[in-house]
Amino acid sequence: MKTFKHAKAVRTIAVLLVAAALAAGLSACAKKTEASKSVTLNLTSWRTEDIERMNRVNALFTKTHPNITINFQPVNDTEYDANMRAGLETDTGADIIWLRSYDTGRTAYDGGWLYDLTKVIPDLDKFPPSAVKAWSTAEGVTYGVPSVGVTHGVYYQKSIFEKYGLKEPSTWDEFIAVCETLKKGGENVFAQGALDDWTLYEVVFSGLGANFYGGESARQALMAGKAKLTDPNFVAAFKAIDSLQKYLPKGYEGLDYVSMQQMFGSGQAAMFMGGSWEIGVFEDLGSDSAKIGWFAPPVAKAGDKLQYCFHVDAGIGLNKKSKNLDAAIEYIKWVAGAEYAQAFMNELPGFFMYTPAKVTLTNSLAQEMFDAAGTADNTVRTVWEKLSAQSPSGNSLMGVALPGMMVDKYTPEQAAAYVQDQLASWYAPFKN
Amino acid sequence: MKRNDGKTGRRFDRLRTWVFRAAFLLPALLVYAVVLLIPILDSMRLSLYSGGGLVPTDFVGLANYVKIFTEESFSAHVWGAFRNNIVFFLIVTLIQNALGFFLALAVTRAVRGAAFFRKISFLPTTLSVLVVGFLFRQMLNPIWGLLGNYPWLGNEATALPALAVAVSWQFIGESILLYAIGIDGIPSEHLEAARIDGADWMQETRHIVLPALMPIVGMVTLLIFVGDFTQFDIVYSMTTTMANPRYTTDLFGSLFYRAAFSTPVRGGWGMGMGAAVSTIMVFVVSLGVAVWYYLFKGSRRGEV
Repeated sequence: MKTFKHAKAVRTIAVLLVAAALAAGLSACAKKTEASKSVTLNLTSWRTEDIERMNRVNALFTKTHPNITINFQPVNDTEYDANMRAGLETDTGADIIWLRSYDTGRTAYDGGWLYDLTKVIPDLDKFPPSAVKAWSTAEGVTYGVPSVGVTHGVYYQKSIFEKYGLKEPSTWDEFIAVCETLKKGGENVFAQGALDDWTLYEVVFSGLGANFYGGESARQALMAGKAKLTDPNFVAAFKAIDSLQKYLPKGYEGLDYVSMQQMFGSGQAAMFMGGSWEIGVFEDLGSDSAKIGWFAPPVAKAGDKLQYCFHVDAGIGLNKKSKNLDAAIEYIKWVAGAEYAQAFMNELPGFFMYTPAKVTLTNSLAQEMFDAAGTADNTVRTVWEKLSAQSPSGNSLMGVALPGMMVDKYTPEQAAAYVQDQLASWYAPFKN
Repeated sequence: MKRNDGKTGRRFDRLRTWVFRAAFLLPALLVYAVVLLIPILDSMRLSLYSGGGLVPTDFVGLANYVKIFTEESFSAHVWGAFRNNIVFFLIVTLIQNALGFFLALAVTRAVRGAAFFRKISFLPTTLSVLVVGFLFRQMLNPIWGLLGNYPWLGNEATALPALAVAVSWQFIGESILLYAIGIDGIPSEHLEAARIDGADWMQETRHIVLPALMPIVGMVTLLIFVGDFTQFDIVYSMTTTMANPRYTTDLFGSLFYRAAFSTPVRGGWGMGMGAAVSTIMVFVVSLGVAVWYYLFKGSRRGEV
C-alpha cells in the first residue's frame, strides 16, 4: 500500500515535470513565432495602495491593445528608489517606471537607463512647462511623461464646523479664530502630530507656509542663493506653523502619520492639514466624503493672492533596455493621452494629471482643490528642487527642524538657521 | 610500507589526522567564506569608493571615513548612533540579565504552574520583530494606546528606552531558557548541603546559584551585545528608518540602512558612505567581542 502510494506520487511528479517542460518549450516557441502578438510590460511605482485601481486603469489599455498586458508591480514607498536603481543596474528593471520629480528621478536618466521621450510624447509642448521641467534636462531632453501633481490644503469635518457655526476661513486671522472656537469648545482642533519627519515639512510648511514666505518667487530666490531661510519672510512662515502648536492634540509629539489619518478619518478631530491624495485614504477608512470639507491654505492678509503648493509628484519613464520597446512606447503614448487621464483621475481622486486634455472630475473635493489652482500662484515644495540633491538634503533637514520646533526644541529662528547652515555645507549658492 | 622508524610514522599519523580534520572543516569554511567573509571584505572595499548607485565606482581612498569623522552633519549621526546603541545595550542587558535571572529562579522552583510559565515565557521570542514593533507602537499610541496620552515614542527621553523594553520583552524568554538550564544543571547535593548548613534563600542564590551561572551571564551578555549592535528591525518597525523623533532612536543598524539605501531626500548618504558605516560597525562589534573574551576568560574555564 505504502509503495503503491509512493509510486503514485512519483508518477504524479513525473507527469507534472513533463507538463512543465512541454509548457516551457511551447511558450518559448510561441515567443519565437509570435513575438509581435503577445507581450507583458512590467510597470512599477511607489504606490502599493493602488494595485486594484491601477489594474482597472490599465485594463482599458489592454482593451484597445489586446496583445499588450500591463503587469503592475509597485514597491513600498521608502524602498522604491533603491529598488528601482538596483533593477536598472542589474538589467532586471521594469519596462515602465514611475519617476519622482527633479533630482531623484533625474539620477535614473543620468545613469543612462531612460529612453529619450522628447519626440515620443504627443503634444508635449501643450503640457504645463513647469511640470515638463521636473522631468527634463536643462538642454530640453524630456525623459518622463509629466503625469501627476498633488496639492496641499486643510480638510475639515462639516458636522463639527456646523456645530459651532463656523465658515471656511480664507485669511490666517480667520483660521486662528476658527482654531480658538474649536479649542474652547473642547474639540480636538487638528488630527496632527510631530512624530513623522516629513509631514510637517512637505504638507504643513510647504502647503500653509507658502502664503507667508511668498510662494514660487521666494522659492526661486532661495534656490538662486539670493534669499536665505533666515530672511524675515521665511522665518514668518516658520512662526506661523509654530503658532499652531497649541491646537495640536494631547500627545501630538508621539502621533504618527497613519494614526493622524485614522484620527481625522474617524471624525475624532475637526481639521487635518493634508495632501490631495488623502481623499482616497479617507474613503478607504470608511468616512463619507460628502461629510468632509476642504479649504485652501489661508492667506496671510486679506487680499493676498493664494500661494498654492501644487507639487510635481510623478512622471512616467521608459527603460531604454526594455525587451518590448515598441509596446512600451505605445503605452507611454497612451498614458500621455486623454483616456488615461480621465480613468486615472476617476480612480484616484486627488491626483491631478498634467495631460493637456479635457477631463471632468467626478469628486467634488478634488474639483475644489483643482479649481483653487486656477486663481492662485502655483509653486512646489520649498526645498525639493536642487536643495535636496545631496546630503544633508533640505528635505531631511526640514524633517528635523520642524518637528523640533513643534516640541519647543528650537525657536522658529533656530529652526530656519539649522536648515540654512547645514545646506551651506554643500549647496554652492548658499556658501557666500 | 613498513613503519620501522617511529618518528616518521608519528609524523605521518599526525599529517593524516590533519588532512582528516581539514576534510571535515573545508566545506563549512568554504560556505562561511562565500556567504560571510567575502561579502564583508567586499563591503569594506566598497567603503573606499564614491558615486551613485548600488556599486559606486570612483575610488576615493579614505575620503568617506574622513567625511564621517570630520564633517559635523555626518559625524553627529555616527556618534549619535554609537551613544544610542550603548544606552540601548545597557537597558536590554539589565532587563534581560537581572529580570531574566530572577524569572528563571522562579520557574525552576517546584511550585504549581512553573512548568507552564517556563514554556510560555519563550513564546514572544518566536514572534517576528516587526510584529512586536507593531504591537508596542499600538500600545504606546498617544490617542488610543493603553498607556494614556503620553507621547512615549515622541519624547527623546522615553523613545529609546521604549524600544529597548520591546526588544527585552521579546527576547527575555531566551535568557530565562538559558538560566533555567543552568539552574537545572546545579547538582542538587550542593543546594541540599547549603540548606543543611542553614543557608537562607538569599545566601543560596548569592553563593551557590549565581557563581554557577556566571558563564551563562557572559554568554547572554555577548548574545545581547551582538544582537543590539546589529539591531535594525525594531527601529524600522517602531520609529521608521528616520529613527524618530529626530534620529534619537538611531542605532548602527538603522543608520547603515538609511545611509546606504535611501536617497539623499530621505537622509541617504550613498552606498560608499553606507559601506563605511557598516565597516565601522564590524569594528565596534569585533572590539566588543574581544573585550568580552578578555573579561570572561576565567569563568569560561570554570566548571558549571
